[in-house]
Amino acid sequence: MAQIEQSSGGKKKKGAQKKMSIHVDFTPMVDMNMLLITFFMLCTTMIKSQTLQIVLPTNEDVKKEQQSQAKQSEAITLILDTEYTDDKPTVDAETGKTIHNIYYYEGIADTTFSTPKYLRKEQFIGNMNHQPQGIRKILRSKNEEVMKEYESLKDRWKNKEITKEEFDQLAKKNAADSLKTRPVVVIKPGPNTTYEGLINAIDEMNINQISRYSIELPSHTDTVLLRHFEQANNETIIRPTVRTTSTNL
Amino acid sequence: MGKVKIKRKSTLIDMTAMSDVTVLLLTFFMLTSTFLQKEPTIVYTPSSVSEEKVPMNNVVTVLVSSADKSGKLDNPEIAEGKIFISFTGDADSTFSSENIRGMMLDEALSIYNEQHKNNPIQLTAQQKAEFRSTNMFGVPFQVLPKMLSMPLTERDKFQGDMTNPEVGIPIDGNKNRDGRLNDFQIWLKAIYNVAQRINNEQAEGLSSEERQNLSNLYTALMRRGQGIAVKADKDTPFTTVQQVFDNLQTMKLNKFSLMTALKSEDEPTN
Repeated sequence: MAQIEQSSGGKKKKGAQKKMSIHVDFTPMVDMNMLLITFFMLCTTMIKSQTLQIVLPTNEDVKKEQQSQAKQSEAITLILDTEYTDDKPTVDAETGKTIHNIYYYEGIADTTFSTPKYLRKEQFIGNMNHQPQGIRKILRSKNEEVMKEYESLKDRWKNKEITKEEFDQLAKKNAADSLKTRPVVVIKPGPNTTYEGLINAIDEMNINQISRYSIELPSHTDTVLLRHFEQANNETIIRPTVRTTSTNL
Repeated sequence: MGKVKIKRKSTLIDMTAMSDVTVLLLTFFMLTSTFLQKEPTIVYTPSSVSEEKVPMNNVVTVLVSSADKSGKLDNPEIAEGKIFISFTGDADSTFSSENIRGMMLDEALSIYNEQHKNNPIQLTAQQKAEFRSTNMFGVPFQVLPKMLSMPLTERDKFQGDMTNPEVGIPIDGNKNRDGRLNDFQIWLKAIYNVAQRINNEQAEGLSSEERQNLSNLYTALMRRGQGIAVKADKDTPFTTVQQVFDNLQTMKLNKFSLMTALKSEDEPTN
């Protein structure tokens, strides 16, 4: 591959040293390197997965008296559901995302149905023009005091007044500040909810800095509420479960 | 009249600079790369705004398979909810992935054989060595010897077939930590016991650095809830994932993490 070229200039003088210019052809080297780069590019994961931390209570039988009862005014219950067509989650044609519905109520379940529009329907919409929409808006309004403080902390961090570590620490403390009115959210994934629906719900907790939330299975009362909602709105919410396989819930 | 001389230009292009660039790029990729771990099935995790990274070391990944998406099966849900486990230890120390896997296998086997005295499992040294180098596995204890004596390619094919009833760690039944554990719970118990034993062994003959490694391993595995990461597909019904949660709760491993992809807060969720 290496080429030694004699300089072609002029006549050769006798006794003069031959001028040699050495060309090494690097093309095969480049070829090989490119192949290796391609290999590494295809085999690597640049984006690492993220994790969501979750803490579940023990599933041992806890006596009723020992359970801490949340204050009625602070409680919000979210019943999750995912829309299905046949046995696949329904996908929104426009956004390409699965459609999840949230049925929520505040306080303890009102089975007398005396309050109109007690159970309401929302969706995970996220932000629109940087303004929270859908369920995020509702949760945010419930956690206004914490969020105000959180945003001022965020501004301080962005203005480099505090470091990221300090920010994280302060935000955590702020979210758990018992002097502020904070909601207690109960997430109840219905039998047809997909894993994504649950993650979305937990995600909303993190976004809205809600430190007190739990994941429970829907109770009979919830079914009653949903049935009532169905009748009032002429909708079908409670459908047969998609997976017939028995689960030991 | 002088002839017009056409200068003969050499067609050689100097590739040296090009070579320099490619070598630089190559170095970059070699240094930054973490290799994709081979997994028996592909799942698409849902996305969240959480920015916490999955730890590189000392993590137990529980993979939950999704329903078949190829459309080739009549009932795609047959492939759903198969459980796979992988262990990753420290990058390089006495508690490397291989060693940890070996310890966990021994522990799990002893628990299993104690509970199934009539039908104990014996593995040869060769099979144990195979297990130590396997990243992710998902078969019941009874199928373990068969799976480990297969050659590598055949093993991948075997484990990749989600319709096979012999694939997937059994997870049903039992809500009692002291009762007869199912296979998945035995693995969890083995992980817990190994982590705890490593922590208790901190005593003699170890340098401070090794001791630090030990306690890092233990805290990572157990305390911070980063030790166990559940990875499931976004379209998997919650009831299937709930089963895994339920087993973790039964084994008193209430703190764990869920693997997600990253998205921004402004992104619409549906």
